[in-house]
Formats: sequence, C-alpha cells, structure tokens
Amino acid sequence: MTNRLKLRLIAAAVTAIAVPVVATGPALAAQQVRGVFHIGSGSYIRMGLPNGGYFSNPYSKSSDKTYTPISSGVGGGIRAGVAQNAPSPAFDRHGNSLANSIITPTSFTGIRFGVITTVPPTFYLSGNRLSGHLRNLYAEWNKQTFRQGGIVSGTYNSATHQYTLTWQTKVHGGPFDGYTGHWHLQGTVSP
Amino acid sequence: MMRRQGVPPKRWPPAVLAVIGLGLILAPVAFGMFSKAPRGASMMTSFSPFMTRERLDGFQTDLRYVGNAVNQGQQAISDTGRAPGGDRNLARVAPQFHTFARQWRAVDADMGGMLVTIKANLPNYQAVAALPSFRLFPWFFVIPGAILLLLGAAGLARAANWRALRWIAVALGIALVLAPVGFQMFSRAPKGAQMMSTFKTIETRHHLRRIQSYFSEMAVGQGLVQLQLVPALRHAGLSAAQIRARYPALRALDANWVPILNDMTPMIAAMSNNIDNYQAISSLPSFQLFPWFFVLPGVIVIVIALLGDRRRGRGAAERERPRLFNPVNQGVT
Repeated sequence: MTNRLKLRLIAAAVTAIAVPVVATGPALAAQQVRGVFHIGSGSYIRMGLPNGGYFSNPYSKSSDKTYTPISSGVGGGIRAGVAQNAPSPAFDRHGNSLANSIITPTSFTGIRFGVITTVPPTFYLSGNRLSGHLRNLYAEWNKQTFRQGGIVSGTYNSATHQYTLTWQTKVHGGPFDGYTGHWHLQGTVSP
Repeated sequence: MMRRQGVPPKRWPPAVLAVIGLGLILAPVAFGMFSKAPRGASMMTSFSPFMTRERLDGFQTDLRYVGNAVNQGQQAISDTGRAPGGDRNLARVAPQFHTFARQWRAVDADMGGMLVTIKANLPNYQAVAALPSFRLFPWFFVIPGAILLLLGAAGLARAANWRALRWIAVALGIALVLAPVGFQMFSRAPKGAQMMSTFKTIETRHHLRRIQSYFSEMAVGQGLVQLQLVPALRHAGLSAAQIRARYPALRALDANWVPILNDMTPMIAAMSNNIDNYQAISSLPSFQLFPWFFVLPGVIVIVIALLGDRRRGRGAAERERPRLFNPVNQGVT
C-alpha cells in the first residue's frame, strides 16, 4: 500500500466519521424534551389588533380583559410527540369548542375556544433554553379554526421542571384576519 | 352553380376566421381569466349563504338587538340613577356604558348602511349567480375560438372545403350572438357590474378593519351589558324579574348574543377571505362588456363567412362575364 493510498484511506475514514457527527451535532447539543407541558396559572392568550392595541375579552377572568387566562384540559396540557386532534364533533351547536385536551375550553366574547395540535409537537432543551416546533397548533372557536402555532421559545428549569413558552402568530384570513395571537404558557413538564 | 365551379375560393375569409379564433383563444389569457375567473366563482360561492333576504334581514335584526339594548341600558341607568342614594356600581358602569352607546351610534350607522346597500344589491347578486359559473367563462372564449381556428385552418388547407366549412362558421357565429341572449347576459351583466361597483367600497382591507373593530366594540358592549350593567342594576335594588320586565332588550341581547356571533363572524370571515378574490375579478373588463365579447366576434364571423363568399362569387362572375360572352367560347364563329 503506497503512502498516497494510505492517506486517502485515512481521509475517507475521517470523513465517514466526522460528517455524521457534524450533521447530528445540534441534535446532540439540544436535548429533546418529552412529556406533558401542563398549562398552569399565569398562562394566557392576548389578541393583538391589526391597528395596534389588544382585543378586550369581556369574559376574561383577568382584571385586564386583554389577557385571557388559560389552563390545562383533560389531557393535562400539550403532549410532546403526540398530536391532540379535534374531537368529533369539534363544536357544540352554539359554536363552543369541544376540544378539551390541551386547555379547558375558555370563553372568548361568550363562546368557548379550545386548542388542538394536528401534528406532534417537538421541544428541545439547550442549557435552560427551551425551543419547539408547535406550528400545527390551532385555536377552535365558533365553528372556525385558526392556525395559531409557530416556533416557540422559552425557558426550562431541570431541577423544578418549571417551563415558560412564548410565541406569537398572525392570523391570516377569517374574521380575525390581521390579528396576532400572543401566547404565553407556563407550568411544569411531567414525563 | 356552373359559374362557381373551377373558381378557387378566396383565402382571406378562412384566414380572418382563424385570426378571430386565435383572438378568442388568447383573450382569456390576456385578461388573466384562467386565474381570475375561478376566484370570482369562489367569491360568489362564499357569499351565497349570506346573500339571501332572510339572512340579510337576520343581520339587521342582530343590529336591532344591540341597538335596543343600548337604548334600554341608557334608560335603565337614567331611571336607576335618579333613585335616592344612587348606587356606586352603577355610577362606575354608567360612563363606560355611555361611551359604548356613543360608539354604537357610529357602528350602527355604518353597518346598518352597509346592510341596506348589500340588500339593495341582492337582485344584482342573484342575477350574477344565475349566470354560468365564472370558472367556465374562459372556456366560453376558448372553445368557440378553437373551433374557428380549426375551421379557418381547414379552409386554408383545402380551399375546396371552404364552401361547406363556412356554414359551420355561420352556425358558430349565430351561436356566439345568441349565447348572451340565452344566458340573459344583456340584463344580468349590467347588474353584475353594478354589484361589483357597490362592493368596491365594501371589499377592501380598510373596510374589513373597520368591521372588525365594530365587532370588537359590540363584544365589549355585550359584555358590559351582561357582566356589568345588569349586575349593577341588581345591586341598585332591581330584581331579575324587574329588569326583565322593564328592560327586556337587555335580556334579549344576552339571549341572542351567541346567535349574533354565529351570524356575524362567518360574514366577517367571508368578507375577509374574499378581498383578494374581489380584487382579481374587478380587474377584469367591466361585466357590462361581456355580452359584446360574444356578439361582436359572432357578427364578424357571420359577415365574413357570408359576404366573403358572396364577394368572391360576384368577383368571379365579373371576371367570368367576358369569357362567357366571348363568341369563341360560345362556338358562334
């Protein structure tokens, strides 16, 4: 075996090992978080108006009616890796959402909205920074469905399992076209 | 018959027909009809649940529920506020309610006006809805155009066939002239133009934002009535039965609020989702011109198919006349 051939073989071996390591590097750095993200006290949604300001929801339990507090539904909250689809039927005859897995359906202007995910969400932890793909999260209200998911980010405390997640998504089309849903979730993650 | 035999038909009539055919094929492409017409069809379908007299009456009733509640709410504040001692809760609610009442006047005037306008345009909408689907519109140009192009090409390729082909062209021309009559386009298309003109100020993002803000104000107002005014009246000493008896509109708004939301939000959604569709369809030539897009080519096709051949006949006859009367030809000499 010539020196040149040896060098080539070594280079090939290094490449064969290095490429997958580099490619999977970020995944190794960011650890996937599994479990249920319980939606605890302090979680809310605010609807930003197209021309500034926030929609005031008279039925909000908050003293500031631009915040509508939300809490875990019967499924415990958002389940990482599991799609929590809409039930069938999705609404009662008044247009109240029957999707009660992620959040307890909550009154918005007199009609209750629920939240669903149609694709399993994924969350990653890097240090104490939490990020996630929650693109396929939808709010259901008054027999209508609004995409409200997005790339989410927040924090996670490995010792206490406390997390926060925040994101915002602009509504395209429908009665709330141009509105922006500002979401803030906090609570604990349980396996 | 004898005169026509042996005289080659003119080539320009089939050539012109082929050009008209090509023009008809290209017209929908030039106007962007293949992308815009389906948007028009989509808009018509989206509006159809709302464009009925019953549904539009329902929206006006919805506004009346709110309006009556505003009037009786103000009356209730005025009546109860006059009671000796007054009430702190009511005093707190009163300014908010008066603000809402003031906002409501503007909302009612604008939304009420919009509903009156839409209602007045109901026959126009129905006239357009009775036309064949917008999706078919480009094909109304392309299909006759393709037939004309084929006829023209066939006439050019085999001149001898032109005499037979031209009658097909005449029939197609008559069909083009009669199609708008059959579809009642002459009466419906101007109504469509009128509808499009009316929606010009309604189907805009700016107007949508205004309607959305009205919705927001109405929601706040309903919450104010149900969650603050009625409890304040109770706190001021009125029983639930007294409130119901004296100010029935407050109760009526509460009872009908969810149906109002069920009614209003899909309408706002339809408005919102069709702004781009409206813009697309409104960039087409005016609806009023559409019947003429069929009639004019139809007439031209008929004229060319008939006169083109007659002129050929006359010309040939004139050219042939000296030959026919030539004594040599007659075998006289």
